[in-house]
Formats: sequence, structure tokens, C-alpha cells
Amino acid sequence: MASVVTLPFQLTAPPAEWSKPSSTGKISAPVKRTLYAAGPSYISAARRQLLNRTFEQDDEATHEHRQAQVEKAQAEKGEELYPGLGEEVEDPALLKMDAKEWKKQDHYAVLGLGDYRYTATEDQIRVAHRRKVLRHHPDKKASGSSGTNDDSFFKCIQKAFETLLNPETRRQFDSVDRAIEDFVPNAKSVKPEEYCDVYGPIFAREARFSKKQPVPSFGAMDATKQEVEAFYDFWYNFDSWRSFEALDKEVNEGSDSRDEKRYMEKKNKAERARLKKEDNTRLREMVDMVLASDPRIKRFRAEEKAARDAKKGAAAGGKGKPLTLAQKKAEEAKKAEEAKKAAEEAKVKEAEEKAVTNIVSESNYFQPEGTTPSASTVEKQLTELDTLFELLEVDESRELKDVVEKAGKGDVARDAIKAKASVAAGRGGQFEQFA
Amino acid sequence: MNVTTAQTSPSLTHYTLSASVLHISFVHFSSCINFGQSYASIAVIGKEGHASCIANEDGERQIACAISYNGEEVYIGNGAKPQLVKNGNNTIIGFRNLLGHTYDEVDHTAVFGAPLIPTSETPAYTVDVLVTPPAPSAPSTRAGSTAPSGAATPAPREPEATKKTISVPEVTTLFLSTLFQSASDFLGVSPTGTVISCPAWFSAEQREALKSAAAKAGIPVLQILEETAAVLVGYRVGLTQEREERALLGQPEEGHKGEREDRDKTVVVVDLGETSLNVAVCKTGEGEYVKLAQGRELNLGGKSFDDLLCQHFAKEFTKKTKVALTIPCTESSSQADKRAEAKLRLAVEHTKRSLSASSGAATCAVESLKDGMDLSGSINRMRFDGLAASVYRKVADKAKAVITEAGLDICQIDEVLLAGASTLFPGLSAHLSLVFPPTTPVTSALDPAEVIAIGCALQALHLSELPAELKVEDVLKLAESPVDTTAAPIGIVVPGQSNDDLLNAVVVPSGLALPVRRRVEIPVAQGTEKVAFEVWEGKDEVKVDIVEKAEKTADDEEDEYSDEEDEPEEVRTPITKKTTLLAGLELALTDKSAKSVLFEVVVRKGGKVDLRLWQSGKESEAAVASI
Repeated sequence: MASVVTLPFQLTAPPAEWSKPSSTGKISAPVKRTLYAAGPSYISAARRQLLNRTFEQDDEATHEHRQAQVEKAQAEKGEELYPGLGEEVEDPALLKMDAKEWKKQDHYAVLGLGDYRYTATEDQIRVAHRRKVLRHHPDKKASGSSGTNDDSFFKCIQKAFETLLNPETRRQFDSVDRAIEDFVPNAKSVKPEEYCDVYGPIFAREARFSKKQPVPSFGAMDATKQEVEAFYDFWYNFDSWRSFEALDKEVNEGSDSRDEKRYMEKKNKAERARLKKEDNTRLREMVDMVLASDPRIKRFRAEEKAARDAKKGAAAGGKGKPLTLAQKKAEEAKKAEEAKKAAEEAKVKEAEEKAVTNIVSESNYFQPEGTTPSASTVEKQLTELDTLFELLEVDESRELKDVVEKAGKGDVARDAIKAKASVAAGRGGQFEQFA
Repeated sequence: MNVTTAQTSPSLTHYTLSASVLHISFVHFSSCINFGQSYASIAVIGKEGHASCIANEDGERQIACAISYNGEEVYIGNGAKPQLVKNGNNTIIGFRNLLGHTYDEVDHTAVFGAPLIPTSETPAYTVDVLVTPPAPSAPSTRAGSTAPSGAATPAPREPEATKKTISVPEVTTLFLSTLFQSASDFLGVSPTGTVISCPAWFSAEQREALKSAAAKAGIPVLQILEETAAVLVGYRVGLTQEREERALLGQPEEGHKGEREDRDKTVVVVDLGETSLNVAVCKTGEGEYVKLAQGRELNLGGKSFDDLLCQHFAKEFTKKTKVALTIPCTESSSQADKRAEAKLRLAVEHTKRSLSASSGAATCAVESLKDGMDLSGSINRMRFDGLAASVYRKVADKAKAVITEAGLDICQIDEVLLAGASTLFPGLSAHLSLVFPPTTPVTSALDPAEVIAIGCALQALHLSELPAELKVEDVLKLAESPVDTTAAPIGIVVPGQSNDDLLNAVVVPSGLALPVRRRVEIPVAQGTEKVAFEVWEGKDEVKVDIVEKAEKTADDEEDEYSDEEDEPEEVRTPITKKTTLLAGLELALTDKSAKSVLFEVVVRKGGKVDLRLWQSGKESEAAVASI
């Protein structure tokens, strides 16, 4: 910026005889001299030269730069850190709190961080504490109008600050923060279109316990399958830091008995483990329930099935169109009928086989009279009969039975069987006795 | 250069080691070390952006530039100075000025301190040290050891006396690294940039040597800055507003210069170190510093005062005890004399400091100065000023000589800035005030012992705040070779108001680096419809008036006893005569209520001049002329 110096004389109108000179001279040639590379003005000159700026351009640039700096400074100054934090109107009930009961107090409420809770940063805690202390310091109260010297609330503030500043104790408190609701609506009663709006915040709330951050969000209705699956995977592998030290029953400080102390400690530990387990179960069940009626999962299933059917339809040679309901039904009925028929046929065949077998056994398995057929022969013959009837068509088997029954005992029956066996051999059967 | 003095005395010149800067969030940390021939100081930029001189871990703001090897111990700084008495051969002092020189170039006679050895090219010292030999690499035997490891118990090893050779750059590196460490410790972080000062007469090689020595010490060097420039930056000369706000103005006996800072000034920097005097005449155009002339006087500095005090006390000692003591010593002096001088010099330094600090008498006491006799004496300020009058005169004479060399007259000097711890004597500034006109302030608003360090720290701050598109090297390169400056002043002549052949006002003085822009506001008489004036190039001259004092003093009773009553007094005033008419400017005032007009002169690099004249607020309707 160009500085301006005021000259110590006044200009008046020029005398009448004065006229603007027409001939003008030149200034003497510049002289080379050493310049010290020092000072802010040198740097300004260097800036103009290096960036090829004229005085006016540089003025403008510097002015803009300064303006930006001033605005920035003002923004920083004007925007007091966390405005209003710790300056809210306090609940009279809170102010009357007994410092001895500090374990039961809501530390966030005491510091005026009720709206922030577990999201409050360390800076916010410090700022809130400082403002609270400024308001409630006993020295201030003693000199104030009330004249009381009750520093109970001040002690509460200090306790709250201590608890919240230590990350470990803060987690213990956050674990059992009653001010955060833990109600989970039943998934069945939630309308599918509201599903994400209802459960999104609930999972976000639960996510504060995760050791792993960030936690995948519940997502919207149009989330992809991968997103939804990743979400449920995360929640089925949820690693929680939630712990329940804050609910410990207090060891009787007056008691000197070590045994008693140990007993209490043991009990507390067991209780903590129980609560932790309970909490894990609660979460598990919640995830199960939400997953079970997640409309998105249903949508994915339907889509998958449709895709499968479409594939099938295409393979069947159709135009790739899925079958209509009537067609489907007809097909099913047909299938059922066929099955029924097959079952009936099998029954018939079985009866026929039995009849033939009877005759075969009456014929002493086609062994000479008076001899007892060897067990292996009997078995082979029976097995071959089984195979035979399996391979024969219904009418063929009926024919065989009729022939055999007509022939009764003897070689005629055997020949009949053999004849059919040769037919069956053509279909893959293997026969020795009836070859 | 004065190497002899540097070596032979615990001298007090300054090395200025520069400043370092680090940005942490929105806070600048900057540190700077002023590293002199005999003393160094460190300055840092605090959170508020103010530069201040800090004390090192021993609580010293002025850190002696001395390194002493004593057995296994190494003393650096003020702890090394007493070693001069008994351990002079192993104490290294006055090493800065040897930087960048070869052995043959420097004077190598040493009376005190370690002598230079004629090795290779770099001047080097050899000192006796005790070194504990390294433990044998392998244990000699496994058997016979009770230790579980089976290793033999190491035998206690006696340190062995050896010779150590250390070159001047190495000494400098060692010393600078301790200074840098102090700055880092103070800031809590290692500074990221440093500006190191050097004397004006340092050659390019010497600057390079200093830079590389500092780099070896792990110091990020931004710039090697001349002490004169550091002083100007430290005082923020020419930066009108800043200087006034920080109350850095000197207080002259008369005139307005104690209340407001002029935009363009001619300044003399008197830098009186321990071993030499450096005077520079500079033009400070709105904070841009152009060197007009400079001069250096060897063997004039704090050491001269030491010598005077030593001689004074030695005489007193001889008178009281009848023990002969000749000071200063030469190389052929007896050992007893040399030791006595070393002792006396240490003691005299304290005397010197108490002299400049308080107006009472300063004592000097040395036990067993020579032959078991003690010295105890005192000197008051008046006596000392009497002793030192010759030194004061020499300083003033040198300043006058340099001013003449610059083609100026003493009355054209706007301000005298003092730097260097030796200018702390009130007697010296009083003497200078008498030499210069009463309107010229002799300024020591900043502690002269610290001003260089502070200037370097500020320079480091400025360099660290460069816009992102500029690089430090590029910026510094622009001043490497001489630049164009205005040869003669440009000013205005108002028709009807000018008397003789003088300019009514100078707008652009001579000696300003080009391009230059100057703006002035000229009040306008009420009801004026048109203003006009001529722009002239001028010539600075001195008007000498002879004032007959006799008349004046007639009614002044005190002066009746004055001897000068009859002598006419010369009154010298700087004037600017007009030489060449450059242009005429006219402007019709459209706004009748206007109280002033603005006039701007821009002299561009090639010597082209642009003139503009406009009514305030109506810049678009300016009358323009170009030459």
C-alpha cells in the first residue's frame, strides 16, 4: 500500500502569468547501488518484480490478501469456540445434587453437554468445564448475593470433568448411559417403507460401542446387496467395548475384611460378565430380528428367484419368458399323475414278480426233482428275477406272469422267463441262470 | 580484515547467526542467533510476533565465542573464557573472522588462546585433550571370569593425553550447533529456518564458509544477512507506522524526529563491536535499504576500551605495589605478564559493564595479579570518559569520513543508529549527539547488544511468511548485484510560492531503488478552482548561514561567561535546488469542497517517470503526465 505524506503548504490558484511549460527535460540516468536483501519492503519489491506486477496490481493483490486475513481472523475471533456451550439454563434439581452421590449423577448434564453426550470431544469437555467452573466456583458464590458457601455442585462439576476426561472412566460411564434410550421396536410391526428410517438411527446408536470405527451405516432402501450383506456381516462380528464396571456394587469401604472385599469383587466380576453376555445376546437378537424382516433382504431373494427362473425358462427353449401360473399348475398336475402311475405300475410289477417267484420256487428253482437247490443258485435266480421285472415294461411283465402261471411248474415257465430275460439283456440286464 | 585482533584478544565483535522459523498452527516460532567474534546472542520470535533476545541454558544473553578443551571436558561459551588464564593454549577464541581464509592469508601470531597451526589450507588449531581409548573389541579371555556371560571384566582405562586438530570451520560448526540447540530448547521445537548475520566486509567465500559451517551444524540457513541490514530491519526504519507503534524512535534534542518516523531517510549505522568499527550510510526508502557508503576501522572497539582500562589499572597497580607490569603484552612478554594481562582483561570486562550500566564508580579487583600482589581499584564514569575520549573521537571521525565518502554532509543525516555492545557507553552516544545536529537522534532504543539478533529474527520471520508462489532463493537473488537507484531528487515547485531556485517539496529523494512510487497529499486553500505546479529534478545541497551569536547571547546571562561569544556560528541546513524542469501539471477542481489533492510519482526501472494528480476520491479524473 502506498503511504501518503501530507506536504506542509497549501496550493492556491496559480498566478495568471503562469502557463503550463511545454518543453520538458528527462531525469538523470539511474545510478547502480547495492540494495540490502532485507526487510518487508524489499520482499514486497521482490514480489512485484518476480510476479511481474505493477504497483496497482500489487496493491490490489495485497489488499485482497489482507482482507482475506482480516476476515479469517474475525471469523476465528467472532466464532467463539463452541458458542453457548456450558451456558444453558441449569435444572434446579441438578444444582441441588449431593456431591457424595456423584456416582449416580449424569456427568454430561452436569457439564451442560446433555445434547452431545458420547459425541462430545475432549475440547468441548474442557471448554464446558471451564465455563461451568467460572459460573459455579465457590469463591464467586461466597461473594455473590446468595452468600452461601455451598460448593456441592462445584464438586459435582469437578467429578464429572474428571470422569469424562479419563477415556477409561468415560467409556465406563458411556456404557451405562441411561439418558440414551435403548428401545428397539419389533421388526414385524414396522412398515417396510419406514424400515430404514426406524432402524438406521438405532444401529447408529449402537455403533458407538464398536471398537472398530467407522461402522457401516444401515443404508437406504435401495442399498445394494453387497452393502446390506457387509452391514449384517459387521453386526454379526460386532466387537463391543461396552463394559459394566459402573454398575458394580460398592465394596463396603469401612470393612477391613479382605475376604468380604474379595467376595464382593468376585461377585461384581461375575455380574459384569453376565451383563456383558446379556448385552451381546441382546444385540445378537436385535440383529437377527432386524435381518429376518428386512424388506431389502426379501427383495433380494425375490430378485434372485426371478433371475433363476428366467434362466431356467431360457434353457427350456421357451422365449425365455417365465411360465404362466396355469402352465405351471398343469405341469405340476401332470407330474403328479405320472408319479402316481409309476407307483401303481411298481405295485403291479411287484405282485407279478411275486407270482413268478412262487412258481419258480415251486419248480424247485428248475433243479432236478429231489435235490435241494444251492443257496447261491436260489439267490442268483431271485436277484435276476428282480432285475428282469425292473427292466421289463408293464405289459411285458404281465405277459410273462400270464405265461408262467399258465405253464405252471416246469421248463415251459423257465423258457418263458429265459425268453423275456433275453429281451431284458438287450436293455442292459445280465442273466446267468436265465440266460 | 583484522585477524590479529581477532586472535589475540578475547574480542567482542559480532557474528550474527540468523533466525529460524516454524509454523505451528497459526503461531510463528522464529529464532535467531547473533554470532559475533567474541560474543553471540540468540533471538526468537515469540507467539505475538515480537522478536526478543533469549538467554541460553546458562542464563547468558551474550554468549562468549570461545571453546576450551580441558582434559576430557569441553567448555563452550562463557565457561571457556576463564580458561584463557591457565589453559590458554587449549582455548580457541576469535575464530569467526578466519572463516573462508587460508592459513597464509591470516595473521597467525597469538598472544592468548590456542595458536593456529600451519596445516593445509584451512586454518586449524591443535589442542591437548584426554581421550578414553575405546574398549578392546573382543574380550581377551573367557576363562577366569566370574560374570555369567563369561566376558572378562573390563579393566578401568585411563584417559590418554592426545593431540586433537580442529579446523576453523569445525570450531564454528561446533559453536553454532550449541547456539542452535539453545534456540531449539527455548522454542521446544527445532526452528525450520535461520538467518545468520555476518559483517559487511565478509567476502563471498567467507559467507559461503559460514553458511556451510552452519549447515553442517544442522541449521537450516535461510540467509546470511549483513549486520547493517539486520540493524535496519531490527529498528524497522522507514516503516513509519510500525516503528512508531513499537516506540523505537530515538529522542533528538530538537525537532520532530522523536515523534514521527519519516518515510525516506538517510541513516548512519554505527556498529562498534569488540574488535572493529563498522559505519554504513544507507538510504531507507519506505523500508527498502540502499547502501550509500560504508567503512571499517580496525582495532577500534570494545577492545580499545579494555586496553585503556587495563593500562589504567596496570599503572595504578604498579604505583601501589611497585611491581612492574607492562600492558599490552607482546609475544616476547614474560609469561607472568601475559597471565596478568589475561586476568586483568577478564576483570576489566566486568568493570566496563558496570561502567555502562550505572553512573557510579566501577571497581576492578584481581587477586594475585602479579608476583602475589592483589589489585583493587575503581574508576568512575567521568574519569573513564576522559580516558576514552580519544576512542570516541575516532568513532565520530570515522562516521564523518564515511558520510563524506557518500557525498553527503553531516546535516543531511536523519538518524544515527547504534549497534554493538560497545556503543552502550553513555559517553559515546553523548559525544555523537554533539557531532550531529541536535535534530538528529542518536538512537539506541533497542539494546545495541541485541539489535542485530533481533533484526535477523525479524528477517527470518519475513522470509518465512513469503507468499507460496515465491522462493527464498529467488527473492534474495534480486539484490545480489547492484540495482538501479534514483540519481537525483524529484520534487515540486509551486508557481508563485517558490523562493530562489529551491524546490517546494521533495517527493522522490535520490538513492531509492527503482521502481519507486511516492504519493503525497497537498492541502488546497478553500475556494480554489484550479491548481497547478511544476515538477522538477533537483540537487541536494547544503546552505551555510553564518549567525552572529553575540547579539543572541546578550540577553542570556549564562552565556556571558562563554568564550565563544564573539565567534559566529555556522548553521548548516540541507536544501534542494531545482535543476531540470520535468513537467507541469494542472488540475481543475470539480469538487469545490475538496480540501486536498493527491499527487503520485512513479519512477520506473528504465528511468521513465509517470505523474498523476487527482482530487481525493476522484482518481479516475486524474491529470496525467509521462516523461
